[in-house]
Amino acid sequence: MTLQKRVWRIIKENKGRYIGILILILLGSFYFTAATGIANNLKKMVVKFAEEYKQEDLTFSTDKPIKDIAALEDASGALIETYQQYDIKLPDRQSQLGGELRLLSLSSKINIPAVFSGRGLENPGDILLDPYFYQTQGLSIGSQIELNGKTFNIVGTMAVPNYVFILKNLYDVLPTSGFGIGIISSADIEAFPESATVYGAYFEDRENINAQTTKLHGLLSEKGYSLSEWLDAKNNKRISMPWTNISSMKSMSFPVSIAFFLLSCLIVGVIIMRIVKSDGVVIGTLYAQGYRRRELTRHYIAIPVLLSGLGGLVGTLLALTCVKPVVDSMLIYYILPDKGINFSALNLAVAVLMPVAFIGLSSFLIIRKILKKTAVQLMKGDEQKSKVNFIERALRLDQFKFNTKFRIREQVRSIPRLLFLVLGVSAASMILMFGFTFNYSMDVVMDRGALARYQYPLEYNFKEVQNLQDGAIPEGAEPYNAFRCYPEGRESVEFYLVGMKPDSIGLKMNDMRGNALSKDQVNITYPLASRLKLKEGDTINFVNKLDGKSYSLTIDGIVQAYGEQFVYMPLDEFNHMTGQPFGSYRTVLSSHDIDFDESLLAGVMDARNPEAFEDLAMPTTLIVASVTALAVLIAVIIIFLVTSLMIDESRNTISLLKILGYREKELAKLILNSSTPAVFIGFWLGLPLMLAFGNNLYGYVAEITNLVMPMIVNPLYVLISFVVIFAVYEVTKRLCGKKLAKISMSEALKAGSE
Amino acid sequence: MFLSVSKLTKSYNTGVVTHVLKGVGLEMERGQIGVILGPSGSGKSTLMNIIGGVDRADSGTVKVDGQHITDLNDNQLVEYRRESVGFVFQFYNLVPNLTVAENIEVVSNISKHPFKIDEVLSAVGLSDKKNRFPRELSGGEQQRVSIARAIIKNPKLLLCDEPTGALDLESSRDVLSLLQKVNVQFGTTILMITHNSAIAGMAHNLLRLRNGEVAEVTHNSELVPAERIEW
Repeated sequence: MTLQKRVWRIIKENKGRYIGILILILLGSFYFTAATGIANNLKKMVVKFAEEYKQEDLTFSTDKPIKDIAALEDASGALIETYQQYDIKLPDRQSQLGGELRLLSLSSKINIPAVFSGRGLENPGDILLDPYFYQTQGLSIGSQIELNGKTFNIVGTMAVPNYVFILKNLYDVLPTSGFGIGIISSADIEAFPESATVYGAYFEDRENINAQTTKLHGLLSEKGYSLSEWLDAKNNKRISMPWTNISSMKSMSFPVSIAFFLLSCLIVGVIIMRIVKSDGVVIGTLYAQGYRRRELTRHYIAIPVLLSGLGGLVGTLLALTCVKPVVDSMLIYYILPDKGINFSALNLAVAVLMPVAFIGLSSFLIIRKILKKTAVQLMKGDEQKSKVNFIERALRLDQFKFNTKFRIREQVRSIPRLLFLVLGVSAASMILMFGFTFNYSMDVVMDRGALARYQYPLEYNFKEVQNLQDGAIPEGAEPYNAFRCYPEGRESVEFYLVGMKPDSIGLKMNDMRGNALSKDQVNITYPLASRLKLKEGDTINFVNKLDGKSYSLTIDGIVQAYGEQFVYMPLDEFNHMTGQPFGSYRTVLSSHDIDFDESLLAGVMDARNPEAFEDLAMPTTLIVASVTALAVLIAVIIIFLVTSLMIDESRNTISLLKILGYREKELAKLILNSSTPAVFIGFWLGLPLMLAFGNNLYGYVAEITNLVMPMIVNPLYVLISFVVIFAVYEVTKRLCGKKLAKISMSEALKAGSE
Repeated sequence: MFLSVSKLTKSYNTGVVTHVLKGVGLEMERGQIGVILGPSGSGKSTLMNIIGGVDRADSGTVKVDGQHITDLNDNQLVEYRRESVGFVFQFYNLVPNLTVAENIEVVSNISKHPFKIDEVLSAVGLSDKKNRFPRELSGGEQQRVSIARAIIKNPKLLLCDEPTGALDLESSRDVLSLLQKVNVQFGTTILMITHNSAIAGMAHNLLRLRNGEVAEVTHNSELVPAERIEW
């Protein structure tokens, strides 16, 4: 149709505007495809591996070997695997980085290893290694490795479900350099008589894991086993780390991309309405000449469909190329067998078609509304005349100066345009402030979080409960006892109940005003109190996760803390309440190294090496940089689109004002500065939106992962965000100023009416 | 002489060179009403735009109250339009989202010594409609607003481009009466362009243009009151 030639001409006339809209649509599709792609691929890798290779639900040790595992399996409904583990240092001549290997015996029922390369264990003396250890130590398949005088043949590399994140100790933050795992046969591990026996359990009924865990604990306790290192998968960082990434990506993908599409809809709607209205006389004439409504609808809907289709497609294609590097970077510390990237056809279709559906439909409705008019009505040119909306009519601005009146009227002239500007600036400010707040909150957690409260840098955790009566703890060290529990009726909220000496100094405890709290009372950390909506004087009813026993305590104080979920009480009362002997403890905090018997220890947390913790914060810098760039891009596009739209809609007025003797600077102030209040309001609206969004997101992540992240707003970063948004606004105004200067006086001289 | 135009030429090159004005001359005394008559394409709008400082001539001179308009740079032309000239357009050119009073304020906002808005509104008979928007007014009323906007700064010269071109007879008479009243009350020199030869009766000077050249210059000593104009 000849008419379709106009589509390109219309786009060419306002390239900047259509490119801006295209980028907005593209960002929406890009974000949706990338976020769902990353979340789904992570999920596929993590969940598939967990399901197919039977990732344990629980790991534990006992004081003596469990007899008759089959009967216990029947009674508990769990698959129980016994395996041996033994840590061994590589001889110097073999190790490039002071390598240390944890040998695990091959398991068959649960935590089944997945072979990456080479083959499985077939012969005595075969060993499978984790791929990072294999790479970093410069080993090769077919070569040999000598451990404790015994030679092993490296037959391949593997991943095991209970060591997705290879931490030497459960209390470590990052993997220990040079540490890896190796799997050998049960017969071969007998060559290491000092190896420890560890049990893993997998419940065949995949519902109510907590209840089944408690039941298994009860069965073992009944049979007289003393249990140590009892840790469920959710709290086992070797297993749980990747789940945090999946939850946060999934929760972010949908709302953010929908917000992009809605913003695009709003602006495309405004622009299409303007195009169709300004073409009213042409449409009326074409109607009169015999064109059908359908044909005209097809013509005018071509632009939104073209833009949304192209934006959706390009955004999706760009995202496809980004998913793998992002997933790879997120999985850098995780050992998972299947790292191939797949995309859901449904998600890809949604990413491409959702903008077409959203924007196409909104444009269609606007076009149909205008095309409902008769040919005569349209030819009269009524559509081109600006109607005065109810807000304009209601405004009485007599008390203001003319420039203020003009700017207010300029803004309220188009409510959708104003809405787009305010919401768009809010979205950009929200993203920017979220990036800064996220970064700052991480810094606060690092600076003032658990580590800052620890006055003693070393934490020794014992496999089993110790007793002060068996031997005193040296000077500069303190005993603690603890167990993991959950509030009654809220199993997703887990916390530690900690017993500590009333005179202990190893752990700083201040109230919300910064005053020292007595340790001879029940104190709860602020994040946990806030999550459970508890205040001083309230009672907390909770269940010991290990044995299912219920307790209740009255809260005496709230501890200023960031991200930590603890309830503290005096050690003697703790032991008395839980029925443990006087003097029982399980953890020692110390200012210096203590020579404990290593076989008694479950792990040592050493906070003397802050680099390990700083490494954790490194990706946040990258996130903040990319989030800032995204926010600036969105702000530029939105402010540019609105300002250029405003200039176009006011061409006649601008031209007239030029004739009447307005100078360029005066015009720029009148027209371009009119958006300042909207940008200002949009920015400040972004702050509560950011807090609501962040709290919602963190709340969701906390429910899934039990990881509580605080949202701490720093006024300095709010100020920086404000400066960034207004700098973008000023730059964009300058870009649009050129457009303003180009408007000729002849436009008003030739104007048809009004 | 208040307004003196001499040997004015102007051509446009849109692929083909069109000579719009070919040595046009015009003279008017202060406080007079002048009418430029001519068919479409005769160059009357171009002549008016050059006098109004909206367009530039190729050659020739335009002098308004002793000021050589053709010698002014862009900034000086802005000052000239701002202080000395008022414009009334055929289709009113009001700002649709400003009220009547605000449309007038558009000009008073940048004038050094404007009249009071209420005074001008009263003069054009729109005091009761100051808070209306242009769409809520008839064509005649809109043109009154346009005149009020033009005279609020008390311009030396009021340029009217087909001021009755979009109006019916009754409204046209109304608007022309108002222009005559402005001329008498404020002593404003008015130059109008029109297709309508009947309007010539109310002008001191009549200039007929044809193909960019002056076809006839007439001076009128007995002015017809606008209310008695017929067509």
